[in-house]
Amino acid sequence: MSEFYEGMAEIFEVDASKISSEFELHSGEAAWDSLAIVSTIALADDCFGVMLEGKALGECKTIADIENLIAAAKKG
Amino acid sequence: MTDQSNAVGRTVQVSGAAIAGVVSCLPGRKVDNSHFDGEFGEAAVKDVVKMIGVENRYWTDESTSTRNLCAKAGAHLLRQLDWDPASVDALIFVSQTPDFRLPASACALQAELQISPACIAFDVNLGCSGYPYALWLGMTMVQTGAASRVLLAVGDTISKIVDPKDRSTALLFGDAGTVTAIEASVAQKASFVMGTDGRGAKNLIVPRGGFKDYSLCKDERLIDKDADCLYMDGGEIFNFTLKAVPALVNETILSSGLSLDKHDGFLLHQANMFMLRHLIKKSKLGAEKAPINIDQYGNTSCASIPLLMTTNLRDRLSSESMRLGMFGFGVGYSWAGASLDVGPLKCVETIHS
Repeated sequence: MSEFYEGMAEIFEVDASKISSEFELHSGEAAWDSLAIVSTIALADDCFGVMLEGKALGECKTIADIENLIAAAKKG
Repeated sequence: MTDQSNAVGRTVQVSGAAIAGVVSCLPGRKVDNSHFDGEFGEAAVKDVVKMIGVENRYWTDESTSTRNLCAKAGAHLLRQLDWDPASVDALIFVSQTPDFRLPASACALQAELQISPACIAFDVNLGCSGYPYALWLGMTMVQTGAASRVLLAVGDTISKIVDPKDRSTALLFGDAGTVTAIEASVAQKASFVMGTDGRGAKNLIVPRGGFKDYSLCKDERLIDKDADCLYMDGGEIFNFTLKAVPALVNETILSSGLSLDKHDGFLLHQANMFMLRHLIKKSKLGAEKAPINIDQYGNTSCASIPLLMTTNLRDRLSSESMRLGMFGFGVGYSWAGASLDVGPLKCVETIHS
């Protein structure tokens, strides 16, 4: 389990085993609100040293969408 | 021309001046989180508080202004330092909540504190970054010989401009007025780093009430917002802070010629608990050296750094000398860092109005 997935599990207050690329940010268990978004900005900064934009994060539907943003940010 | 787009700020060294004393004045009305349950519901309040970390804040009543809080703090400070008001050569009022659009509140404070008319007095319109800027200005005035005693009145009453229905700002801010006395001294030099990026102006703004109406610009984020109240784009501010503050910390420490270890404390503007914890970790400041009091007082804008001095650091500053790093950042965007020796102070107190 990556540090990033563990962090996402903490943000959503779910068991870490539930987090995968397919995890739905708007599922019944998760609350993809402003607190979750800024927490994710901080987490991506910690894990990968990249700065994600709040607006783009707000449009994400799954963890895979966030991972795509991280990959794009790493390329600069 | 060299490219300055990635520059952290202007680095300036000032010598020959030091802080003589600091007083913070808090308004009488203490407001805890239950106050907001009616407007937002208990669950929503809990969610916001989890993020911002504010449990209590102090708010002024209608008849009390930032200038009133600073006048009380200033009168107390002059008494405790045994300074004749006539010996004060300059008075700077740093605030975004002055009494009137004009005249400058510093003029009213000069009269109220019975300072001689032979006094330089003016206002500076800065928020979260204001305290290091004020120190730089006051100490520079002493260094140049323009003044030998300076009062820095630094405070805000943001409770007066938040929309009580906007949950991103309604719970966050507290009011406070502080006054810091600066005098000539043989103290070690103080180092400052100061910078600005006005492209962020629209992300933390009161759109109306000055002499231009930003709400006419059709910024879609302002739809349904009260243009006379403070608007904050929390995500943008968070991104700005993550980019700007660790760099500001590095540059300020570097400019002091002393290592992080040689600093006894780091006073960060108390912006928001979540943000503070992240910044302290990211900047490797060490939680034990970076006091937090936003839980007790809220975000008090430019007053947050002196308020840390008169609360968390009060005992140490009244008995010993500390090398402090101070970091203010936010509205503007504007940011400033300072590294200087402070204490032992004859007066370092928190009073209530």
